[in-house]
Amino acid sequence: MNAPAFKVCMLGDFGVGKTSLVARFVRSTFAPKYLTTIGVKVDSKELSSPRGTLIKLVVWDIAGRSALDALGANYLRGASALLLVADGTREHSLSVALNLLMQSRSALPDAVVALAVNKLDLVERWEVAPTTLAELRRTLPVFETSALSGDGVENAFAEIAARLQP
Amino acid sequence: MSAEPALPSSVETYLRTFFLQRTRPLLLSFGPDWTLRDVQGDASLFGIDIDAADGGTRELQDLFIGLPLNGDHDLPFVELSSGRSAHIHLIADGAGFHLLLLDAEDSRSRQRMQQQLGNEAVLAGHEKNKAISRLREIRSELERQRATLEEANALKNALIATLSHEFRTPLTSIFGYLHLLDRRGGDGRHALQALTAIRRNATYLFTLAENLLEYGRGESGALLCAVAVDLRALGHDIEEMIRPLAEDKGLEFSVRVDADDAAPAWFDEVRLRQIVINLLSNAVRYTTRGEIGATLTWRDGRLHVEVRDTGIGISPEFQASVFKPFNRGGQSGSKGAGLGLSIVRRLVEQMHGTMTLDSQAGSGTRFVIDLPPLEPVAAVAPSRGNAALWVNDREVLVVDDDPDIAQLLEALLLDLGFRVRIVTNAAAAIAEAQRLPPDVLLIDVEMPGLSGNAAVYQLRSHGYRGRIVTLSATSTVEARDASLRAGADHYLTKPLNVEQFVSVMQRVTQPQ
Repeated sequence: MNAPAFKVCMLGDFGVGKTSLVARFVRSTFAPKYLTTIGVKVDSKELSSPRGTLIKLVVWDIAGRSALDALGANYLRGASALLLVADGTREHSLSVALNLLMQSRSALPDAVVALAVNKLDLVERWEVAPTTLAELRRTLPVFETSALSGDGVENAFAEIAARLQP
Repeated sequence: MSAEPALPSSVETYLRTFFLQRTRPLLLSFGPDWTLRDVQGDASLFGIDIDAADGGTRELQDLFIGLPLNGDHDLPFVELSSGRSAHIHLIADGAGFHLLLLDAEDSRSRQRMQQQLGNEAVLAGHEKNKAISRLREIRSELERQRATLEEANALKNALIATLSHEFRTPLTSIFGYLHLLDRRGGDGRHALQALTAIRRNATYLFTLAENLLEYGRGESGALLCAVAVDLRALGHDIEEMIRPLAEDKGLEFSVRVDADDAAPAWFDEVRLRQIVINLLSNAVRYTTRGEIGATLTWRDGRLHVEVRDTGIGISPEFQASVFKPFNRGGQSGSKGAGLGLSIVRRLVEQMHGTMTLDSQAGSGTRFVIDLPPLEPVAAVAPSRGNAALWVNDREVLVVDDDPDIAQLLEALLLDLGFRVRIVTNAAAAIAEAQRLPPDVLLIDVEMPGLSGNAAVYQLRSHGYRGRIVTLSATSTVEARDASLRAGADHYLTKPLNVEQFVSVMQRVTQPQ
């Protein structure tokens, strides 16, 4: 029997590391060179839930953009979860991620949402204050991640999987 | 209303050929439940293996999770696992549907090239702005440091120039009178005069030496040591010390102590004595006739110190500068190293007190100081005997990957009376601090894997409110600022300065 599959969309400004997070999560790899995504790339990975059941996450790595246009909205249809991604070294990218959440909420009112604040390996250069994330944690799960080292990546997807568990 | 005019057949043929060449369409026709029924076009171009068990369509099925298959869908620029990009259309057809894949590789490459340049320019612009801002900060810091160094150099020159004179004068006097005593013996009026002069000059040297030591400690000063001060005994000592100097100049002199408050007066006795002696020494030095006096009043939990004289006074325009080191502004013809008042002000500020100066040129000077008492326990310098009281059973979580450093920190902390837990990496620190939050987290910054700063950041962003001290081998301002931004309260550098370490641990365990 196939594991139940759920569509998870990665949303965030360009250059925040969405593609790198997917590469780390699905293939345990990291490419240091930035290559912008055009359109969408879809990957999948099966995870074991704490209860031992399998769940398949089909991860849509959607090109970064500051607003969801008609094309972007097309990609979101059918999504069960959103993983918002921001870059800790660019505070503006956090606003972009939260704006994308607000824009997508009308189309996906019931989607599971988590926030990954990426580039933890560069924490010395972060502009996002810890208190900001402490506040955000009151409303949604937040993970500090590093696609480079892998810190926090598995936890972010595992949290989504746990919340999607039928 | 006219119908759309038909294109000439040659144009239609051209367009059809052009479109097919550009898009190289692949049409996959499915029955219900993704049963592949027909294939038209080159599936291998898109990396689809039609001969695979699932018809190579598993990846395509994933694209339509959560979407109804009885309606049309359009997914532009989908990167397939083969790396090729396609526009994918789902077209419903009765009980089944078709998937039409149109090659988008060329247009994606063009778009990516443009987008990449634009995105990289924005990212580079962001980095450039940050770098410029940082450079401005560095320039400003360098200018500040240069000004500080110039000031320090000027003070050093002033110190050397002043001390060569200030030490030689009383020493010359002492040696001269000792020579007289040696020659004339220890009896008579001359001997008494000589002893008085020796005492006066020795007292001056003592004050000068004390001030130099205090000045050498820098702005931060040494830790205050609170003891219950016997104010009457202190007043008596000071009176004994200053009276011969005052009487030698024919001045009236008195020290009065009003200790109305029955509660013990917790102060740093050495520093308090230094304040009063400095003010009285100045008063003697700058008064040629009349009187000088000091009053110490311990009332309502405050110590009020007043020192007054009928000396030459200080003009209003010089009243601010007399508190600067090596400055004897306005008191023309004066003697002294010019350290006394600057040190008095520093000590008063260190004790969180206030000080006012009331003076007019030619009509005397009056200094008034108001001091709150020190905390009897928290301000006590740590030692084995009182350490447990001082830290009040606090716990420190030590995080260091170097076992030698971890053990050293543990030994120091145990000696101060802390309870200590040790972990050896940042991830364990996060878990341990969340499981059982310590009063203080003492964490190394440079550790393999997750850095100490990253752990600090994550703990703060999870709401950890305990105190955090980071320890690092990097002693730059940038490194310190980064650590403080991540959420640390204090930043210490290696090699560890034990005195500074103790001071910081004292501060972080005081009530916030």
